Amino acid sequence: MTASTLTPAPVAPAAAQPGRRVRRRRENLAGYVFLSPWLLGLLGITAIPMLISLYLSFTDYSPLIPLTEANWIGLENYRRMFTADQSYWHAVQVTVTFALVAVPLKLAAALGVALLLNRTMRGISVFRGLFYLPSLLGGSVALAIVWVSMFNRDGAFNSFLALFGIEGLPWVNDPDWALSTLILLAVWQFGAPMVIFLAGLKQVPTELYEAASVDGASPWRKFVHITLPMLSPVIFFNLVLETINGFQGFTSAFVLSNGTGGPVDSTLMYTLNLYIAGFVDLNMGYASAMAWVFLLVIGAITVVLFSTGRFWVHYSDNEER
Amino acid sequence: MRFPVRFVALLLILAVVLYPLVWMVGTSLKSPSEIVNNIGLIPREFTPANFTDGWTKFDVSFGRFFLNSALVSLLTVAGNTISCLLAAYALGRLRFRLRGVWFAVMIGTLLLPGHVLIIPQYILFRSLGWVGGEWPYLPLLVPAFLATEAFFVFLIVQFMRGIPRELDEAAVIDGASAYSIFRHVILPLSRPALVTTAIFSFIWTWNDFFRQLVFLSELKDYTAPVALTLFIDSTSESAVGPMFAMSLLSLIPVFLFFVAFQRLLVEGINTSGLKG
Amino acid sequence: MEPITRAGTPAQRTTRRRLLAAALTVPLLLGAAACGGDDDGGSGGGTELSVFWWGAEKRAELTDKALALYSQKHPGVTFKKTWQGNQGYFDKLATLTAGGNAPDIFQLDDNYISEYAARGVTLDLTEYTGNGKLDVSKFPESLLKYGEVDGKLAGVALGENTQGLVYDKTLLKKNNLPEPKTGMSWEDFISWAADVSKKSKLPGTQDPSAVYQALWVFLRQNGKDLYAGKQLGFDEADITKWFALWKGARDKGATPTPDVIHEGNASDVSKQLVATGKAGTSWVWANQMPELKKSTDNELGLIAYPGDTSAQWARASMYMSAFRGSKHKDIAVDVINFLANDPEAGQILGTDRGLPPNLDVRKQVAATVEDPNMKQTIAVMDELGKKYGPNAPTVPPQGHSKVRSELIRVAEEVIYGRQTPEQGAAAFVAAAKAAIGAS
Repeated sequence: MTASTLTPAPVAPAAAQPGRRVRRRRENLAGYVFLSPWLLGLLGITAIPMLISLYLSFTDYSPLIPLTEANWIGLENYRRMFTADQSYWHAVQVTVTFALVAVPLKLAAALGVALLLNRTMRGISVFRGLFYLPSLLGGSVALAIVWVSMFNRDGAFNSFLALFGIEGLPWVNDPDWALSTLILLAVWQFGAPMVIFLAGLKQVPTELYEAASVDGASPWRKFVHITLPMLSPVIFFNLVLETINGFQGFTSAFVLSNGTGGPVDSTLMYTLNLYIAGFVDLNMGYASAMAWVFLLVIGAITVVLFSTGRFWVHYSDNEER
Repeated sequence: MRFPVRFVALLLILAVVLYPLVWMVGTSLKSPSEIVNNIGLIPREFTPANFTDGWTKFDVSFGRFFLNSALVSLLTVAGNTISCLLAAYALGRLRFRLRGVWFAVMIGTLLLPGHVLIIPQYILFRSLGWVGGEWPYLPLLVPAFLATEAFFVFLIVQFMRGIPRELDEAAVIDGASAYSIFRHVILPLSRPALVTTAIFSFIWTWNDFFRQLVFLSELKDYTAPVALTLFIDSTSESAVGPMFAMSLLSLIPVFLFFVAFQRLLVEGINTSGLKG
Repeated sequence: MEPITRAGTPAQRTTRRRLLAAALTVPLLLGAAACGGDDDGGSGGGTELSVFWWGAEKRAELTDKALALYSQKHPGVTFKKTWQGNQGYFDKLATLTAGGNAPDIFQLDDNYISEYAARGVTLDLTEYTGNGKLDVSKFPESLLKYGEVDGKLAGVALGENTQGLVYDKTLLKKNNLPEPKTGMSWEDFISWAADVSKKSKLPGTQDPSAVYQALWVFLRQNGKDLYAGKQLGFDEADITKWFALWKGARDKGATPTPDVIHEGNASDVSKQLVATGKAGTSWVWANQMPELKKSTDNELGLIAYPGDTSAQWARASMYMSAFRGSKHKDIAVDVINFLANDPEAGQILGTDRGLPPNLDVRKQVAATVEDPNMKQTIAVMDELGKKYGPNAPTVPPQGHSKVRSELIRVAEEVIYGRQTPEQGAAAFVAAAKAAIGAS
């Protein structure tokens, strides 16, 4: 790691000591004690619905019938998804495009503003709050109205363009551009990763910067050699989470398109398609199958991210995962 | 020299970022026909009545909805921070058998789209007698106390991994147990992660719609996001003005919560002082 | 996470999956049984019925009042009322139903009634009409029929409406343009609209290619129908004709640009172009006219869809249905009967859900309506009602809501110029067939 000259040298793992096995066992026990609420939640609350949905993915279950009356149809849902459902593949394409563009832009915006805001000055909390405000809106109905009014033919964005003599398009209502407005909306709501970056920046030990200043390092060098490496666990976290969120993006697509994914399916995100299958078309078995394929694919992407993380994420606890 | 540049940049970005919200304020002051026909920023005829109308439109005042939301959100904050911190400490700092497996499972629970879980969850919670009982918020709150929001577990784990391991090692050499390391080393150093968890828990719960809609069935129990949808019925004329007004009001508590908790982050933590 | 590779004979597999199903669901059902006592009535021996509907706050107020009147007349019966806007309504209703916890009485529309009825969620009300517990003698026959699914009465209409074309009177007056008339042909209407566009600089009409009820009327005027039982009632040629008709209208400038057409295709009343001032005419349901009026200062007029009006029919705008698993079926039916037939209740509910289904109540309500727009609506609907043809459509089959969304998707492909009318017709027929599971 390039920052090794600036970060404290790793302490070698404690050498073999007497009573090590006892300690192991104690730590084992402690591990499960601390994990117990989560385990209880996993087994009692999370796992059962997940397993039920897995089971349902092999059935023709509709929410309007009792769970036990769902007919087992084997791999039919999966077959249909991969071979017979055009809108499925269309949704995959929309989602991949969305995630590939929105995630990097959102992270860049979040990191950029976080760096600008990483200051101790009066009123900085309010400042941060103001930048967070768009995210506070979440996916409310109001948001849809606001966004349409910004990016419609007679919207504010086009009035702005008109200042430069450019005639705008009806962005939200144009099948070629609707997805872009959705991406912009995701980027606009960069508050969550920004807050995480800010919290991460606070954890960077200040003496590293002090030491670097003594050495006469430029701000850019400090950023590259201290900030980025020290922030890498948090960058990694944001990357993983925003990737998952990006692929799962539902709410904004739902409110912007009134739950349809329109115009002409241009904003039909994967999870929106899944929601439509489950709740609008009442084919929850099929929706469950979509969900499990999603889990496997995103799981694979996450595994890839984790394995690349090994090369660029710097953990202060000096431990490989 | 650098300060003004940074400041001007911030202000510019802020202006762009906040414009849609300012527009929202404008719209919340428009009359019904203006909302449809005037999409400009400034209302031609100021209609502050949207705020009073929205507040008192239903049999239950909007204040009640805010109180319900606050109750649910604050309890969720408590549940999430406590339970996720414990789980994160185990997964992030302790060595125990199957840790890798549990960590993978934890990440795995993040990945399944929630829409296929709602119905099984509803059936499960109903069979446990939590739905529509004395305490309608049980199905919303119990999961928070059992760290089912894996996002926060992962978040805190990542932060904890930023805490130098030599601190624990030193404590271990001093004979400290996992519990006292947790209490005296990890807990104080996890403040940024906990504050972040608290902020997100609060905001997300405050804005959560689908689960609250499904599990709450009585007007007096409704939370703000559920109540906001009462203004909008696409099959009849919608009360957009009052809805905007109440949406704006409902930003205030989250904004204040955010600013207050942000302060805790600003002070920062200097880990160097604790190094052994 | 590897559910796919499973060996074993079919029989073994069946057993295994039965076991799996049982393992997953038995604890839930046991749990449900154990706390089933929760559902029994309220305190003091009274009966509490849950009622669930979508609507705006005004509907809630009226329904509350009508239900309170029932409680007053039937001491001991109280209601647990839940209402919300229509967004999320069917999601919640489906979830409640999945949990075996559907409300005793709930509101449905023709989009979903077949889905609920075919899966046995709704109580079959036929026997109640036989034994007089549910009085339908004053209902128009076609309206009553429109609640039957597979020969079972799945819901009672609480309101009637029919297709209505709402136009901007003020706009026409300002530009000295003639008003459109009920009975004009589709071609005449389109020329009229093109003329409006030219003289007023505002597109004469919304393009209804994606509006299923307009297509439906058009099909019926051509001797076809949207459905024939559980099959489609049309073929590709019909749809090609329909899409081509409106392509012609777009080329003549009778309609707005595609993005505006898309905007108007939202089902929201408040987004209809005649209300937002982006077109001269909108294709809606007649009873929505007074609601549209609230969003605009201009005067509005109402006529039937173009062509022969006998192709239109009395449609149930909303139904009330009872849950088959309700513990209080008889009372639930009695409440529905009360809402549909009681003169006082009818007076309270007014025309909020559409025209009252009971003709006597309708007459009485019509006499006291004050809103001039509603008066106009009632007059137009009365007039049209006299001409309805004898073979009114039955309630749309399962998959209807999918057919509707597919129509919007495909029609917009054609409107945005991404497909020709022929391509669109082929795509729509295929999608619609798949949606209703037709051969």
